[in-house]
Amino acid sequence: MTEQLRSVAIHVPVLARVEGEGALDLRVEHGDITQLRLRIFEPPRFFEKFLEGRHYTEIPDLVARICGICPVAYQVTAAQALEKLFGVELSPWARDMRRVFYCGEWIQSHSLHIHLLAAPDFFGCSNAIELAKIAPDEVRRGLRIQALGNELMDLFGARSVHPVGVRIGGFHGAPSLARIQIMRDKLRAALPEAETLIRWAAAIPMPQDDQAFVSVATQHPTDYAIETGGVGVSDGRFIEADAFDAHFAEQHVPHSTALFSTYHDQPYLVGPLARLNLNHARLPEPVKALLAESSLALPSRNLFHSLRARAVEILLALHEALRLLDAYRVPDSPWEPVTPRAGIATGCTEAPRGLLWHRYEMDEDGRVLSARIVPPTSQNQGRIEEDLRLSLLNFGLDHPDDALRLHCEKVIRNYDPCISCATHFLRFKLDRS
Amino acid sequence: MRRLCILGIGSPSGDDQAGWMVVDALLARGVQTGGEIVIDKLDRPGATLITLIEQADWAILIDAMQGNGQPGTIRRFDQQDWPAYRGGLSSHGFGVLDALMLGRELGSLPPRVDLYGIEIGNAAPDRESGTGILAAVQLLADSLAAELAGSAA
Repeated sequence: MTEQLRSVAIHVPVLARVEGEGALDLRVEHGDITQLRLRIFEPPRFFEKFLEGRHYTEIPDLVARICGICPVAYQVTAAQALEKLFGVELSPWARDMRRVFYCGEWIQSHSLHIHLLAAPDFFGCSNAIELAKIAPDEVRRGLRIQALGNELMDLFGARSVHPVGVRIGGFHGAPSLARIQIMRDKLRAALPEAETLIRWAAAIPMPQDDQAFVSVATQHPTDYAIETGGVGVSDGRFIEADAFDAHFAEQHVPHSTALFSTYHDQPYLVGPLARLNLNHARLPEPVKALLAESSLALPSRNLFHSLRARAVEILLALHEALRLLDAYRVPDSPWEPVTPRAGIATGCTEAPRGLLWHRYEMDEDGRVLSARIVPPTSQNQGRIEEDLRLSLLNFGLDHPDDALRLHCEKVIRNYDPCISCATHFLRFKLDRS
Repeated sequence: MRRLCILGIGSPSGDDQAGWMVVDALLARGVQTGGEIVIDKLDRPGATLITLIEQADWAILIDAMQGNGQPGTIRRFDQQDWPAYRGGLSSHGFGVLDALMLGRELGSLPPRVDLYGIEIGNAAPDRESGTGILAAVQLLADSLAAELAGSAA
C-alpha cells in the first residue's frame, strides 16, 4: 500500500532513438502524476522566416532541408500548395511519379524506424546493435528495405538526402526506362520480404493498451492517401487544406520550442496508425488480405500497433510504386509551365510521421510573403503527453524508476517523433515526493 | 584486384567538410574512381553506410570528430576502440560508429575498415574550414595516397 503511493521524480535527460533533442519530466506525488512534460528544447530553426522573400522556384530545395529523413514530404506538400494557387495541372505522369517518389520515402523511413528505432524496445534490447545479435536476418532485411526506399528517392530526386528532383509543375527530369525496369525488378523482389515483415511485426508481443483518441489523416476518395487529398478526422469530418485553421490551432507552451496543436481544443493523433484507422478500406487488395490474416482490429486504440501499421504501409508503398511504374513511359516534358500569381497557397500530404500542412502567402512575382509549416511531430505532442499519462497509469506507477523510464520511451518512440522537424527528444526527469 | 571504397563523410558546414576535402585531395593526387575503386562523399549516411561498403574488401572512411584535441589532429580508430566512442556526433541518433558496429554484428563489414577522424573546431554553415583542418586534410591525403600507391605496387 505504501509502495503504491510512493512519490517519484524521473528525468530522462536525452531521449534515445528519436530524431532531434528533447526531454521528459515526470513527477509523481503520493501515487498521482502531478507533472508530465515532454520538453522539446532543440532550438527553433526559423525555416518559415528563411522562406520569406524567396522565389517559388527555390521553395522545393529549401524545404527539403527541413528534414534529412522526410525531405520528399516537405517538397511535395509545398509543390502541391503552389501548383494549386498557380493553377497548374500536373501531367498524369508527374502526378503518378510524385506518388512513387513519396512511396520511396515511406519505405525508407518506416523500415528505419521499425528495425533501428522501435523494434529493440520489444525484444529487451537497448539498441539495434543488440537486436542484431538475436534477430540478424530481420535487421538485414530492414536494411535492405530501407536501402531500396533510398534508391527509389534517388531515382527521382538525384539523391536520397535532400533530393533536388521536384520543381513546381512536375520534376526537373525523368528517369530512363532502363533505370525504371531495374527498379521494378527490385520492388517486385522486395514484396515477399515486406509480407514477411508484416507477419513478423504481427508476432511481436505488444503491451495491451486501450485509449480513446481522435485520428487525423489525409484522405482521398479512391486511394490510400499519401501525396494528395483533404484532411479526414475520425469523427467523420472532412476538411479541405484551406480550411485547416478553422479546425486546428497551434499554441506555444512554456516547456517546448515546438508548437502544440489541437483539434477543436483536444489533442489528436497523426501518423501511420491514424492513417490505417481511417484509410484501411482503401488499401490494395493484397495488402488488405494480409492485414486481415494478421487479425489487427481496426480502428485500433493501442498506439503500440504503430509498428505494425508501418509494416503494412511499407507493403502498400511497394505495391503502389510497382503499379505506377508498370505503366511508366518517358514523358515529352517532365514539367508543366508555371505562371506565378499572388494569393494564399495551402497544401497537405502524409509525411511518414503524419499529416504535414503548408501555407504560403505569395506576391505576384512568385515570392513568399509569409509561410507556415505544421509538421506531424508538433501535432502529436499533445497526444504524446496524454498517451504517456494514460499508459503510465495503465502500466502502474509503482514500477522501479528504470522501468517507468523505459515505458515512457517506448510510448514516445511509437510516434517516431522528429524533433528537428518540429522545432521548432528525450531527457527524462522523474520526481517522487 | 581488391574492391576499395573510400568515403569522406561530412557536410558543407565549416570544418565539417574535412572528410569531403580529403576525398577531393585524393582525387587531385590522381587516385581515380571507377573500376574496383569507389570514391565518394557522403552526408549523414546513417545505416545505409553498411550497404555502401559491404561489398568492398577494404573501406577507408574519413569523418570529422570533436574530442579534446586541437583542431586538425588526425586519429585512426581501431575496431576494438569503436564501442568507447559511440553516442557521439550524429544528426539522427545513428552515427558512423553505430552503423559500423551494427555492420560488424551482422557480419557485413569489409575485411579491412580504416576509420580516420579529423578533430574539428567550428562547423557553422557558410564558414570556411580553419587552417589547421586544411593542413590535416593534405597530410592525411598524402599518407593515404602513399599507402594506396604502395598497396597497388
